[in-house]
Amino acid sequence: MIEDPYLGKYMTCVSARSTDKEILKKAQDGGIATTLMVYALEQGIIDGAIVAREGDLPWKPRPFVAMTREDILKAQRAKYNISPQISWLKEATRSFGLDKVGITGVCCQMQAVRKAQLYPINMRDVPGKIAFTVGLFCMVNFPYDSIQALVEDHANQSLSSVKKMEFGKGKFFVHTERGNVSTVPLKETHKYEQPGCHVCLDYVSNLADISTGSVGSPDGWSTVFVRTKKGNEVWLKAIADGMFETKPIEEVKPGLGLVMKLAKEKIDKNRKTLEERRNFGVNKALRDPYA
Amino acid sequence: MANKIKLGHVHLSGCTGCLVSVADNYQGFLKILDDYADLVYCLTLADVRRIPEMDVALVEGSVCIQNHESVEDIKETRKKSRIVVALGSCASYGNITRFCRGGQHNQPQHESYLPIGDLIDVDVYIPGCPPSPELIRNVAVMAYLLLEGNEDQKALAGRYLKPLMDLAKRSTTGCFCDLMNDVINQGLCIGCGICAASCPVRAITHEFGKPQGDLNLCIKCGSCYGACPRSFFNSDVISEFEAINEIIAGALKEGERDD
Amino acid sequence: MTKVVEISPTTRHEGHSKLTLKVNDEGIVERGDWLSTTPVRGIEKLAIGKTMDQVPKIASRVCGICPIAHTLAGIEAMEASIGCEIPTDAKLLRVILHAANRLHSHALHNVLILPDFYIPGTETKINPFSREQPLRSVAARIFRIREIAQTIGSVAGGEAIHPSNPRVGGMYRNVSPRAKKKMADLAKEGLVLVHEQMEFMLEVTRNMQNREFVEVAGKQIPLPKTLGYHNQGVMATAPMYGSSSLDEKPMWDFTRWKETRPWDWYMGEETIDLEDPSYPIGGTTKVDTRVNPRMEACNTVPTYDGQPVEVGPRARLATFKHFAEKGTFAQHIARQMEYPDCCYTILNCLDNLDTSGKVLADNIPLGNGSMGWAANEAPRGTDVHLAWVKDGRVLRYEMLVPTTWNFPTCSRALTGAPWQIAEMVIRAYDPCVSCATHMIVVNEEDRVVAQKLMQW
Ligand SMILES: Cc1cc2nc3c(=O)[nH]c(=O)nc-3n(C[C@H](O)[C@H](O)[C@H](O)COP(=O)(O)OP(=O)(O)OC[C@H]3O[C@@H](n4cnc5c(N)ncnc54)[C@H](O)[C@@H]3O)c2cc1C
Ligand code: SF4
Ligand code: SF4
Ligand code: SF4
Ligand code: SF4
Repeated sequence: MIEDPYLGKYMTCVSARSTDKEILKKAQDGGIATTLMVYALEQGIIDGAIVAREGDLPWKPRPFVAMTREDILKAQRAKYNISPQISWLKEATRSFGLDKVGITGVCCQMQAVRKAQLYPINMRDVPGKIAFTVGLFCMVNFPYDSIQALVEDHANQSLSSVKKMEFGKGKFFVHTERGNVSTVPLKETHKYEQPGCHVCLDYVSNLADISTGSVGSPDGWSTVFVRTKKGNEVWLKAIADGMFETKPIEEVKPGLGLVMKLAKEKIDKNRKTLEERRNFGVNKALRDPYA
Repeated sequence: MANKIKLGHVHLSGCTGCLVSVADNYQGFLKILDDYADLVYCLTLADVRRIPEMDVALVEGSVCIQNHESVEDIKETRKKSRIVVALGSCASYGNITRFCRGGQHNQPQHESYLPIGDLIDVDVYIPGCPPSPELIRNVAVMAYLLLEGNEDQKALAGRYLKPLMDLAKRSTTGCFCDLMNDVINQGLCIGCGICAASCPVRAITHEFGKPQGDLNLCIKCGSCYGACPRSFFNSDVISEFEAINEIIAGALKEGERDD
Repeated sequence: MTKVVEISPTTRHEGHSKLTLKVNDEGIVERGDWLSTTPVRGIEKLAIGKTMDQVPKIASRVCGICPIAHTLAGIEAMEASIGCEIPTDAKLLRVILHAANRLHSHALHNVLILPDFYIPGTETKINPFSREQPLRSVAARIFRIREIAQTIGSVAGGEAIHPSNPRVGGMYRNVSPRAKKKMADLAKEGLVLVHEQMEFMLEVTRNMQNREFVEVAGKQIPLPKTLGYHNQGVMATAPMYGSSSLDEKPMWDFTRWKETRPWDWYMGEETIDLEDPSYPIGGTTKVDTRVNPRMEACNTVPTYDGQPVEVGPRARLATFKHFAEKGTFAQHIARQMEYPDCCYTILNCLDNLDTSGKVLADNIPLGNGSMGWAANEAPRGTDVHLAWVKDGRVLRYEMLVPTTWNFPTCSRALTGAPWQIAEMVIRAYDPCVSCATHMIVVNEEDRVVAQKLMQW
């Protein structure tokens, strides 16, 4: 077990890609999240999974309890605005009838899940039914109207014709159905960020069973951290069953160094924000959730 | 084998749903009574009629200050207990008894109900209406470790219980408004959604990712705030979730205790 | 010479209550008063002005053992007032939830009463928390039955305690096919267990009925064959579930209900002149204590046709299944006989449940202030809620809960029992005292009815 102040605890870190052609076609990166949930469902490790599916407006996600492969696939691709995933966590164990819940979500959502597991406040039956979680790397998230402004004003595209959005290489990329690619410099996006993200001290979903993101691996591949006993069990089984191609993280470009660099940047910056919040007003501090 | 602790349940103006939640640990409840705690007081489950000395008192319900017996009971409980736990939202925050306004036969003077923290010092909160059986179980096991465990176990239990002790110091009122005042207004909300999941009356929805509370439904239980990862987040303990879950599961494994 | 003895608080039931008993030289109760001493939270008064959606959620919190009954009776009283019919599948989910709640509550009650009973063929009373066999297996079975029931309740109702899924107009959500199957599997497992549990409880009860004496605090107390007999009637609205004023043939009649004040029913000031410090555990109230049940009572005294009535499993079986036995043990027997029906009801409803059916009414009127009532057959008896709703707000709200009906009836049933086993008589009603703690407005006319009853 490796313990790193920025990357959390993990057993292994690799670069990986799904071997499922159908999943890869529409995956954000290496299709890790979707493949793992489909695999867990088919193996009976979970009865269903909470995923972020398209909502009532283009690119507005909504949490969804998926109980089939098709439904899990409908949630492919990152939607860079808020999906209150964990609002379904209890209901999944109620009217949906799940005893083994799978959850995908960003770092803070993994934090909510683990807090509910250890301090289940009005979360009866939930702690024992959290079966498998896949966390995404996350630098920051946006309100819906921010994404609308970035895509429609800054990138001059219509949201409904966007095929994929992506952050990387200092830019925000907007790919349209017609193959058009617009970019927005990252620094223009900052003002639109969700304020709560500025005190977030996790970049790589430290509390998930398995966490994944694009950073560190080549295009079309994902970086994967296997973090818990449960995560390791599922990962080894999935590898044995040929669900993924993998490459040692040391052998890919840009590699773990970049992940580390970004994690450090994010967390140090947000620690500074927390520090600033301690002296925000005149002899008045803003709240510190970690205190 | 270490000593069992003396556990009591004190019922004030509550509905007994909190106690049912204690019992809803099923086999785990039997295991706790077998190995870790003697139930020395609990009007609903045992014939003991007067409040005895207790290591841990689980207090359910708020206190009607126009009812002499209730006021005496809570004072007596404080005097006779090492650790007083507010079990559930009525004891912690008042919950629905916050709406009480008296005027009803046969005791129309019963008008004012206070969470126990307004009358005595409370050590630990277990919010929830009702509180989750699992949280009650965790607190019971941790209280046992705190009082009877070895040094490491005591330290772990202290770290685990700290946020619940901080909640007991923070406030005796709970409401959806806590999310507005202390999370959203403080620039801390991240739209994770768990507040909606925790609400026992489905008063919370999410609009464009952020909580919308129906104040005409909210019963003032304080659960949403307690569940929110941006109310308290003690990373040192929560990041140990896998190991702590194993400790608790181990403690409650069926069969004879081995120590 | 008549003496007054008092057991306060009574134990092994929900809430706070006490027994003030006038007894003869042999210690036999001549007149018993059983009353609630739980502070009056005043739910009916605090409901006024609140929304029809919130009030049932608050009413649920009157009792955590039968919150389902209060939620459903509260919601259905609102629906009856505003005139709202709910979809069939919503109703089926409510019945499942109701039956699951009865299952858990009866099992919990087994735990509460078993310490009064003997292991058949022995002189040992039952400690349900004992590690010894066969008691541990019995406890394990009871807990498993409760777990099954609470799990079904939480799937159908959102929560096992204080259900969140029911709402005015139906339910928030239907269940998934997977959830439906899960409930059916659990109910089938439960069916086997409840048959075993019923047999066990019947054996234990019959064994008790054949005894001449029971031991209390080292003394042999004679056990009368007529323990808990009374001459009051019974009231029930259905073998399972209940009835409402929206029904084609409502099973409860608003005009036959009258309310009296405890003032007219209970004893006035008395001085305790009999005390037993050995009464388990902690003794009875001290000699020379002044008590005043009519001032202290926190409950109300409802009557039906001018008389207190018994509600609960025995009342249901007597009304609908020709069950003829009377008294404390008959109540226990009737309760056990309801066990299997809970599982059969759940399975029947599941057979008919369409998981893709809608569960919320298209039109939910806001009400014009007319009265609507709904009765839910809670585990411990008929729970009637009455509501007057106008423009979505509650104008007036009343709750006639099971233990309220039973307080005066059971007080009568105490006559003839040795005072040391009076608690056995009240426990047979499975009292839920927090529910019973509130009181309704009465008019002068009703007081006359009550005074007449007192003389008789
Ligand atoms: C807001 C956000 C910020 C991110 N920031 C980074 C970053 O800085 N660096 C990095 O390397 N990776 C980041 N990612 C992760 C990355 O974009 C991919 O989501 C990840 O690599 C998974 O790719 P995949 O091919 O395995 O996923 P797929 O198989 O395509 O599945 C996508 C999964 O993401 C979930 N999802 C989609 N949108 C959301 C959402 N809004 N909230 C919660 N869950 C969602 C879906 O439920 C689905 O399960 C971010 C993701 C999000 C949602
Ligand atoms: S940056 Fe942190 S707080 Fe913001 S969405 Fe990502 S994980 Fe959540
Ligand atoms: S917190 Fe809820 S369950 Fe507990 S006593 Fe209060 S109303 Fe009942
Ligand atoms: S739980 Fe807290 S952080 Fe999460 S959505 Fe609710 S208020 Fe926001
Ligand atoms: S919004 Fe819900 S969870 Fe929050 S205090 Fe109100 S009732 Fe409790």
